Amino acid sequence: MYGWIWRHLPGNAWVKALLSLLLVLMVVYVLFQYVFPWAEPLLPFNDVTVDGQ
Amino acid sequence: MSVRVVVRTFSELCITVGTVIVLFVVYVLFWTGVKADRAMDSQIDQLHDQWARGSVAARTDDRSPDAAPPKPAPYRDGKPFAVMYVPRFGFTWNKPVLQGTATGTLKKGLGHYAGTAQLGQKGNFAVAGHRRTYGDPFKDFPELRPGDAVVLTDGATWFTYRIDKKPYRTLPGDIGVIDPVPRKSGYREPGRYLTLTTCEPEWGHSHRLIAWAHLDATQPVEQGKPEALRR
Repeated sequence: MYGWIWRHLPGNAWVKALLSLLLVLMVVYVLFQYVFPWAEPLLPFNDVTVDGQ
Repeated sequence: MSVRVVVRTFSELCITVGTVIVLFVVYVLFWTGVKADRAMDSQIDQLHDQWARGSVAARTDDRSPDAAPPKPAPYRDGKPFAVMYVPRFGFTWNKPVLQGTATGTLKKGLGHYAGTAQLGQKGNFAVAGHRRTYGDPFKDFPELRPGDAVVLTDGATWFTYRIDKKPYRTLPGDIGVIDPVPRKSGYREPGRYLTLTTCEPEWGHSHRLIAWAHLDATQPVEQGKPEALRR
């Protein structure tokens, strides 16, 4: 999987490394901005009220 | 497809999932706190701006210091209306109180149960807050002891409530604890009460932790901070 991505990135090793870093940062951003805020309410830490639900 | 490729892809997937889980833990434990602190600060700033603009009107009525505080206007859902101080949680501990207990509201501060009494009024002013995540506002909830002060201000008046019992552990369905005369609180007659609720155990949701207080003193903001907040 990662080998496949590495082989398909353009340029020499330095350019590839830089692009990989950008890809990683992009994935982390998407996770923190969209995926985790969606998943977090599924955890029990939000239940702080008494409402019988 | 060779066995080597299958094994390699599987291991890469495992490492990826592990990394995402670690990132998620970082998000829950650390990043929600950063976000919540920012949101709470902005809510408090918003309140101070509002009070600074409206303070002239509040000062023109010359009511005697002993008179009961005026009835506040209805709270707007999801909007801040007061700031809470609990010296037991730390001298610098102060959090905004917002109207409603929706998940999104509790990310920005403490939530006032809609349908319970307004601040300082007869009945039960009930407030919920996160114990863990989102800035951990009620992290030290079990440390509350009888006599501890819970101070609130709505910009015109300081309200000092006093805790009457050690935190009480109950089930999530026990809505009697936020009744006007809370069940199990030991209060017998109607009064001006305050109820705080949070989750129990610290990282779980099987129970709730409840603290009750009664209104001990009020004073206009012109008279300065109440004694409980003076060092």
